[in-house]
Amino acid sequence: MLLAATLLSASCIREEALNAECDVLSADAAWLVENSLLNGDVKIKNNEIIFIVKKEADLANMPEPEITFELTPGARIEKDSTKRNKDGIYQYYTTFSEDGNWNKQYIAKFIKLPPLDEDHVFSFEHFELNSNNKYSIWYEINNNGIRSDLWASGNAGFMFTGKGKTPDDFPTATDVNGKRGNCIKLTTRDTGSFGKMAGMPIAAGNIFIGEFLSENAMKKPLEATRFGMNIAPKKPAYLTGHYKYTPGEVFTDKKKNTVEGRRDTCAIYSVLYEVYPDNFVSLDGSNVTSSERIVLIAEIENPGEPREWTEFTIPFKSMNGKEFDPARLANNGYAIAVVASSSKDGAFFEGAVGSTLHVDELSIIWE
Amino acid sequence: MKRTFIAFLIAIAAISVSAQTKKEVSDTDKNLISAALKGWHIRLSAGYNIGGTAPLPLPREIRGIESYNPGLNLAIEGTVEKKFGKGNWGLRWGVRLDTKGMTTKAETKNYHMEAWDTEGSGQIIGAFTGKVKTSVKNTYVTVPVLAVYNINKRWNVSAGAYASYLLDGEFTGSAYDGYIRDQNPTGEKAEVTRAEYDFSNDMRKFNWGLQAGGEYKAYKHLAVFANLQWAMNGIFPSDYGSVTFELYPIYGTLGFTYLF
Repeated sequence: MLLAATLLSASCIREEALNAECDVLSADAAWLVENSLLNGDVKIKNNEIIFIVKKEADLANMPEPEITFELTPGARIEKDSTKRNKDGIYQYYTTFSEDGNWNKQYIAKFIKLPPLDEDHVFSFEHFELNSNNKYSIWYEINNNGIRSDLWASGNAGFMFTGKGKTPDDFPTATDVNGKRGNCIKLTTRDTGSFGKMAGMPIAAGNIFIGEFLSENAMKKPLEATRFGMNIAPKKPAYLTGHYKYTPGEVFTDKKKNTVEGRRDTCAIYSVLYEVYPDNFVSLDGSNVTSSERIVLIAEIENPGEPREWTEFTIPFKSMNGKEFDPARLANNGYAIAVVASSSKDGAFFEGAVGSTLHVDELSIIWE
Repeated sequence: MKRTFIAFLIAIAAISVSAQTKKEVSDTDKNLISAALKGWHIRLSAGYNIGGTAPLPLPREIRGIESYNPGLNLAIEGTVEKKFGKGNWGLRWGVRLDTKGMTTKAETKNYHMEAWDTEGSGQIIGAFTGKVKTSVKNTYVTVPVLAVYNINKRWNVSAGAYASYLLDGEFTGSAYDGYIRDQNPTGEKAEVTRAEYDFSNDMRKFNWGLQAGGEYKAYKHLAVFANLQWAMNGIFPSDYGSVTFELYPIYGTLGFTYLF
């Protein structure tokens, strides 16, 4: 009796707590969709909701868009304020969880993604800390002073190893000793026992134009890296820049077993590929250099191990027998990605801990 | 662990075999009878442990136990009982080899976790929503000390304390089919397919607790018993980072005792 009573009380499930989460699960701006003014899907991040508006839209005179939200069950949302300028509309919201214990700030941005200026140089001078101050994120400012959040990295995934105590501990970090000013420093890192537990024993440093879906980082790592954005102003001719590279000593496979005789190498490349602006499907880690949609690719084939800053200029070559079509470009039909990684096969968790790639002053020369 | 257990079984078998030899039989019997006359009783018990190694109370973030498997946990015990005078009271103590284990699958929601990686250089603090499988199998050598009260010739009840030393411990599990959020329920989210853990080497060697039970003497030499062992300290050190709440082994034993 006593035994049975005890076991019963010990295994008793207490009443379900109210939801503690307060996420925006989906956001819909019907008016923009009806008028076909959106370029690509709405991007919902942990604290941001981004509506990329087509370049022909008149942001300055547009009525303020109404958003319909889907939230975590039981959560509510309040609009705090709106700011507008010639480049965008910014709505500030706070969400509150059902249990009343948590709230979260969101910014809904209605912005354009301007094409790159033809003389734009990616010099990695513009960076800030992410929303919880753990790691750096990089952005670009164009000749008109408009900010574009072009760059993504795997840092958000590395955060879950618990090893990033300062931004410099992350695989993708800034370094003051650039070719000119700051540069990007990519380091292949050990992810410790947590990374190993998830079958990801190393994390290569990477930086790319596109988006990193940290939610997918553990489950489908190849799909977490979404390469490319709709920002090519013309047909690209060359990818140029500066880099230096020191591979790590011990090359390991995805189970962290040493692979004798294999040496790590870095990757720097750019691809231009076909997209449908109303159904933007990015290339990801599984097909970024092999997809049939690639039109042009520029890649350093034998990067070697230059210990000093080394300049490179590599031509874009056509791929899949495709021809660049200016009419397609005018219809937002191409995306371009620039990618750098401290371990070429880092996406498959193969590489050498300690491999370090510095890159700076990247640019694309347009035809 | 298995080896120790088998050795123990062999030792018991050997005792019973040696007890069969003619001359010794009479010697042993004489000794037992004279011991019994002085109020000493020797007992040998075997039982099955069923229970859980669980936090108390169960945190609210645990939404459901999907499955529970008690496993095969045996306890073998040799005890001596001394009766005091002609009254009903006595004292029982001895040595027990017992395994306390279970496997559970639980569903969690915003389960607060803090964990250090094995190198001690990385820490995750977060909220996990998903499934957690835990498997415990601990083998202890235990010394129980119990006060015994004989209600009548057939029934007795006992209560006291026990001290256990962990001979072999296994604490493994996995978190799967869920997601973790950095720091708290508003943090960045990452889906978790499967993360395995093994904290076997971090468990406390010493465990102690309270024990109470009853016994029914069905035949002259055979009694059946049930008791409950409720641990008073957790299986991990209180400052252990990977499991932030105390896990108490709480097990019941059902078995029989051979009374010499």
